[in-house]
Amino acid sequence: KGRRNQKGKNRGCVLREIHLNVTDLDLGYETKEELIFRYCSGSCDAAETTYDKILKNLTKKKKLVTDKVRQACCRPIAFDDDLSFLDDNLVYHILKKHSAKRCGCV
Amino acid sequence: EPVLSKGNNCLDAAKACNLNDTCKRFRSAYITPCTSSTSNEICNKRKCHKALRLFFDKVPPKHSYGMLFCSCRDVACTERRRQTIVPVCSYEDREKPNCLNLQESCKKNYICRSRLADFFTNCQPESRSVSGCLKENYADCLLAYSGLIGTVMTPNYIDSSSLSVAPWCDCSNSGNDEEDCKKFLNFFQDNICLKNAIQAFGNGTDVNVW
Repeated sequence: KGRRNQKGKNRGCVLREIHLNVTDLDLGYETKEELIFRYCSGSCDAAETTYDKILKNLTKKKKLVTDKVRQACCRPIAFDDDLSFLDDNLVYHILKKHSAKRCGCV
Repeated sequence: EPVLSKGNNCLDAAKACNLNDTCKRFRSAYITPCTSSTSNEICNKRKCHKALRLFFDKVPPKHSYGMLFCSCRDVACTERRRQTIVPVCSYEDREKPNCLNLQESCKKNYICRSRLADFFTNCQPESRSVSGCLKENYADCLLAYSGLIGTVMTPNYIDSSSLSVAPWCDCSNSGNDEEDCKKFLNFFQDNICLKNAIQAFGNGTDVNVW
């Protein structure tokens, strides 16, 4: 199996974006400024590594009934640049690691 | 009651900036040093100035000028415009030096010296010309003016009711040089060429130049 094939399996996990008001984030800021919020979504069902495959097999055979083992999740593997904005009381704020840049099944 | 309530051109420009990856990145890149206090200072002024110069160097004028030269009808808007360069760090200082002394310190720095010369060349007023400028080129005047941001000669709007700008200096203690000092300061504060250039950008009436 080549790398390309492996990657193709998880094409469900992708970067999406949505245009929001900063207030939509519910982080407590009062401002009229806006942003593009990028997030990771999609499935990571296909086992990516031998580790994932083993976990799946063991779960199927009920050898791990007492442990909650997690399968790969579609998560940010890199974050977007910082976002700054001026609030309604003329105070600047900076958001860090608030938006995804790249996604992966991790 | 918050100072900023209704929408305005300066707010629209800030929104547009954060929706553009380049503008967003360079905006945060100066907001960060300009708002981070150090152990005994409000901020690291040198780092703030450097990041501001980078912002005006790298971000297309559509976005950078959009925030700096936006046209306003109310105080909410003019206050936001005044805050663009984070004046508490980049502009204000404990003491206001004499403008001619400030000009001397500017001349000692290569970037400041050349940008101040550009400003005096490209924003030279001429009351007999239609544009108000000797050079008849608003784009060059705005480029020269914005080029001063991030030098010791960093200018900003001085009040919320006009387009008057000035560097952080005055003409007290000028002695025999009072006239020269006032002439220097008035080139910023009372410059028909610069005012017309800012107005033309803000109103979008000089679109061909951009």
